[in-house]
Amino acid sequence: MKKYKKILGIALVAFIMVVAYVWFFVYNKPHRNIEKAKADYELSAEVAYHTFHSGDPVQAKEYQGKVIQLTGQASHIESGDSLMVLVFVFEEGMFGDEGIRCSFLPKYNQQLASLDLSKEIIVKGYCAGYNETDVIMEQCSLAGPQ
Amino acid sequence: MKKVIIIALGLGLAFNLSAQRFITKTGHIYFSSDAPLEKIEAHNRQVNAALDSRTGDFIFKVLMKSFAFEKALMQEHFNENYVESDLYPNAIFVGKISNMDAVDFEKAGTYPVTVMGDMNMHGKSQKIEEDGVLVVGKDGIQATSTFNLAIADYDISIPGAVAGKIADEIQIHVDVSLKPLNK
Repeated sequence: MKKYKKILGIALVAFIMVVAYVWFFVYNKPHRNIEKAKADYELSAEVAYHTFHSGDPVQAKEYQGKVIQLTGQASHIESGDSLMVLVFVFEEGMFGDEGIRCSFLPKYNQQLASLDLSKEIIVKGYCAGYNETDVIMEQCSLAGPQ
Repeated sequence: MKKVIIIALGLGLAFNLSAQRFITKTGHIYFSSDAPLEKIEAHNRQVNAALDSRTGDFIFKVLMKSFAFEKALMQEHFNENYVESDLYPNAIFVGKISNMDAVDFEKAGTYPVTVMGDMNMHGKSQKIEEDGVLVVGKDGIQATSTFNLAIADYDISIPGAVAGKIADEIQIHVDVSLKPLNK
């Protein structure tokens, strides 16, 4: 009887551990920390845009859904509703300026407000893809010295 | 999909000829699913939208991978299993305001509108007709709408194991602030 109780106890503890693991590390697993993640690709903003816009669709698909680090000279910053978007412009189209739009993590708002746009900058973020006018980057951070 | 792109390009030509075009690239669309076992909400704040105030043409482009969910696992399932965003990266709506005579774009005010058009998502196109509100102001136009979409209409199938967690109809909330494009 004592032996069965021991087995039952071990089974119960194992079951609780499995449930806890699934709950914390599968069902409620945290989002990938894009700011701390190592970039899957590092390239110039211009090359990235042209890869999506008129370049190699296979390579463009490689960038989609990945963390990429872009280097280039940004054109302007748009802000509104606590969202700040850094924009690299390369073309003109039906939706106005077309290029790469990088929406930043809110913690960078102050740094962006005083950013010197005449200098080349390095941006890291999650590449959500191309919406037929712009390459969209999410959860961006400023990488390296500005 | 090709048809939608051709229509969109056609709209582009129409827009080029128009006197007044209003656009945004930071439109906000979110959807919510209220199923018995779980409430899900996901937000996209980089939505492209354009409205031609002369013709009433309306276009929305929504990049599916830009939807942010509270839970990482849901976001993963949404992109990989349900909308298959690698295969179908964008949802595109191309339509027209059907009661243009009820809107005066020269006069500030709130105007209820009906928009009809084609919604293309997950490689499937459906005609939809939804109500919304335009608020015309001196700096631009605020467009809002809330409507339901049945996910089965877009060939999105939900496995039985999670059926109780995702509603058959999801509620779409649109909130875009359109500014005049002076080109």
